[in-house]
Formats: sequence, structure tokens, C-alpha cells
Amino acid sequence: MRKRVLFFFCLFLLAACGGGSSAGDPAETVEKYLTAKVSGDGDTVRALLCSAMEADKDREASAFSSVTGAKIEDMDCRRDGDTDFVICAGKIVADYGTEITEFPLSSYKVVQEDGDWKWCGESAAP
Amino acid sequence: MLKRPLSLTCVVLLCLLAASASGVSAQKSTATPDPDPTMTTSYQQVVVYAGPGTTYQQNNLLNPGIPAQIIERNAVGTWLHLQRIADGKLVMDGWVLARFLNLNPALKFSVVPVNTDLADADPSTVDSQSLQKLYAAPVLPTISDAMRDVFQRGQELGNNPRAITKFGDSLVANELYLLPMSQSDVDLGPYDYLADTVKYFGASARESMAARVGLTTYVIFDPFWANKEFCQPGESPLDCELRRQKPSVAFIMFGPNDLKAMDTEQYGTNMRKIVSTLIEKGVIPILFMFSYDPIRPLWWQSVDFNQQLIDIGAEYDVPVVNLWEATRVLPEYGLEVDHLHLKNAGVLNLKFSKDKVGESGVMLYNLLSVCVLDDIRRTVIQSE
Repeated sequence: MRKRVLFFFCLFLLAACGGGSSAGDPAETVEKYLTAKVSGDGDTVRALLCSAMEADKDREASAFSSVTGAKIEDMDCRRDGDTDFVICAGKIVADYGTEITEFPLSSYKVVQEDGDWKWCGESAAP
Repeated sequence: MLKRPLSLTCVVLLCLLAASASGVSAQKSTATPDPDPTMTTSYQQVVVYAGPGTTYQQNNLLNPGIPAQIIERNAVGTWLHLQRIADGKLVMDGWVLARFLNLNPALKFSVVPVNTDLADADPSTVDSQSLQKLYAAPVLPTISDAMRDVFQRGQELGNNPRAITKFGDSLVANELYLLPMSQSDVDLGPYDYLADTVKYFGASARESMAARVGLTTYVIFDPFWANKEFCQPGESPLDCELRRQKPSVAFIMFGPNDLKAMDTEQYGTNMRKIVSTLIEKGVIPILFMFSYDPIRPLWWQSVDFNQQLIDIGAEYDVPVVNLWEATRVLPEYGLEVDHLHLKNAGVLNLKFSKDKVGESGVMLYNLLSVCVLDDIRRTVIQSE
């Protein structure tokens, strides 16, 4: 009986550890999200957007759709300790033909939903 | 030895005589009455129309150098009603674009009557029904009573009655749009009656956090597009600008960028969101229909977008300025060689001369903006 309990306890621990690792690195989620936003990859944007921002999904997917040459330069995102914030260095450069405009990357809120990290908007890290 | 003092005396006397003579002539010239400033001539042969727009019937030609009298003007002052009388008979009576005329520098539009009977266009002569709707919208709107309520709400929320702002893409972000109102070298030309309005709002004209290259009706709500130097984290360009400027009036023009990013329905949805947000915040929204060149792709979609603006104006009772129609008579529709941006006037100040207003999209854009502001100051702000 004791062996069986121990077995299930180990199974539980394994599942818990496995679940944690499946969420992955939130910084990776943010980098994927920003890349999708700039390239107008609507499917990825929608997949990585948190439910609280569901209403903004079309806006997020169309943010750079009027630009022909938008790209991310020197992106480097890192989780801020154990918080739900990811801080990014780098910038987005959008080329409007005769005009170029830059968007410096900043800090973003992330949340875990269904075991995955989701991008949840721009926000100051605590 | 005596010759030199004598000759010197003669020179002095001659100088005195000359000075007194010039004084007399100066007195004579000031005594001469100025020519009538309402008399004008054209500097090239121009078409005379039955009304203040190219959609009206052409009824005559005015040859260069032939004098005619200015009877009245359209509300903007870009069209003048002229009459010419010869041998006691009315031989010419119609409307001419002001930019083709030699206007007397002493002419002031405050003393030229405004024609309020004729519309800015005769849409019945336009073939396309879609375009008829655009031509039917007045260039300058009437400010509705509803805007008084909006302004009043804004005052209760702490908005600055003298503050204006602008929302839009690179056409609006242009530093030659509205910002020159704050300069001291404003040259109103014949638009003397706008002086108090420029003075009232001028100091508030500055760079807007909600006007930048590439901005669309979508991303004006996206904190990503806010200027990180001035805006708070998570704050959208629109919210950031409202917080910083606390405006009472917002000039809004979106279109050329939005055409590439969304369909007409989405454009309408987004514009409605902007308008309703501003009304809620006590800011009078002024919508601008945008100029577009028919040779460019998406022409008919641009017509649909402009129609949306007319609909939204009616729906919310907010002013819509028909820059689209006003630019139809400008060279290249008031646009730069890229057929996209409004053409600059080649000056850094606000200069409302008939040449600048008649040829530069940016200067006409400025003029229409100040004209609407003038109406708002008189009918909404000063009546409070």
C-alpha cells in the first residue's frame, strides 16, 4: 500500500514538473508574439494573446499591416526574475517608403493560461 | 574764398526745397483715395461658373486684365462671386477661383459678404452616385448644439478651453499642420477675421502624441505605438495625448494608411470608437475627409471611407470638414508628387494668401481647420 502511494506521489511530481516545463520560457513567448505582430501573422498573434485581450486581437494582428518593410532589430527579451513580466531590448523599425519610424521594445505582462504563457499587453515591470 | 560758403548754402537750400517738395508729394499720395479693394482682375483667362465649384455650369470666361467687382465669397474664401458692368449693362456674373485673381492687398474678407444660398457643389452634374454624396457634403460644417454639451462636459472634466490637438498619420503629424499657429509670424492675408481665433488657440498648438507616421485608426488605441518618452506604460497614443494636452477640440484625419490595413466596415467601426471616446471625454471631434488621387489604387475604397465619415458625422452630430472636395480644384488635388501626402506650401509659417491656399494642400488644410475653430470659438466657447 505504502509503495503504491509513493508511486502515485512520484507520478504526481513528474506531472507537475512536466506541466511547468511545458509552459516554457515566457520570454520566448514574447519574442514569438512580437515577431508575429510585426509580420502580420494573425494566427500566431491570436494563439499567443491572453484572453483578457481577446477584444483587441484584430487590432494586434493588423498593427503593421500598412507597412511594407517592418522588422525587429536586436531583440533580446528576458523574464524579470520570477514575476509575470518580460523586459525586452531592441526595436521595431518600420519603413514607410520615404519615412522610417522606430518603436523601442519595452516590458510586457505575461500570464499562464491552460499551461501556456500568453502575451498580455504592455506594462511596467514592478 | 567766398564761393565755397555760397555754394554750400545753395546745396542746403536745394536740399530743403527737395525735402519739402517730397513732403508735398507724400501728402498728395496719401490724400489720393486707395483703389476699391473689391475690384479685381485675373492674371490668366479663367472659367466663370454659376456657383462656387467646378461642378456648377460654366457660364463665361474672364480674360486677363479685365476689371470685375467682388460681390461675395464662399464661406472658405477660395471662390469669389464677380460681376462686370460695361456701358451700364451686366456683362459678366459668376464665380471664379480666387487663386487666379489679382487681389488687392487691402482686401479683407471680413467685409466681403458670404453667400449662404449656394452649396459648395452641384452634385446633380456628377455621374457617379458615390461621388455625388461626397460633393453634397459642405466643405465647412455647421457646428451643432450637441457640441456645446460636449464642450461643457469637457470643462467639467477639466479640459482646457484653449487647447486643441490632432490625431492621424503622417499627413497630420506634419509639423507644418497646425503647429505654425503658435508662431508670431502668422500671415492671414485677406482672412483678417481669423486673427482672434489664431490668438486664442495658437499657443496650444504643439506636437501630438496621437499623430505619427503610419498611425491608423486601429493602433491609435495600441500602447505599442505610444511615445515611450512621454506616455505611461500601457497608455495608448490617444489616452496619452488626452492626458497631456487636455484638449477641447481634436482634429482627426485618417485614411491613406487605413486603406492598406482594413476594409470600410472596420474603418467605420474604428472611427466610431475614436469619436465616441472623445465625446465621452468632452472633446469636440472634428472629422476630416481626406484627399485622394483617382489614379491611385484603392480609389473607390477611399470614396467609401470618405462616405463613412459623412455617415459618422450625421450619426454623432459631429462636424465633418470636406477637405476632399476642397482639394478637387487644387493642382494634383493638393498632393505631393507621391500622390499621398498633402503638398507643403514652401513656407514655414501660416500664410493664408490666395496662392498658398489655392495651391498647397497643407495650407488649405490649415485654413479649413482654423475656419472651423473660428466657428467653434464663436458659437460654442464664447457663448458659454
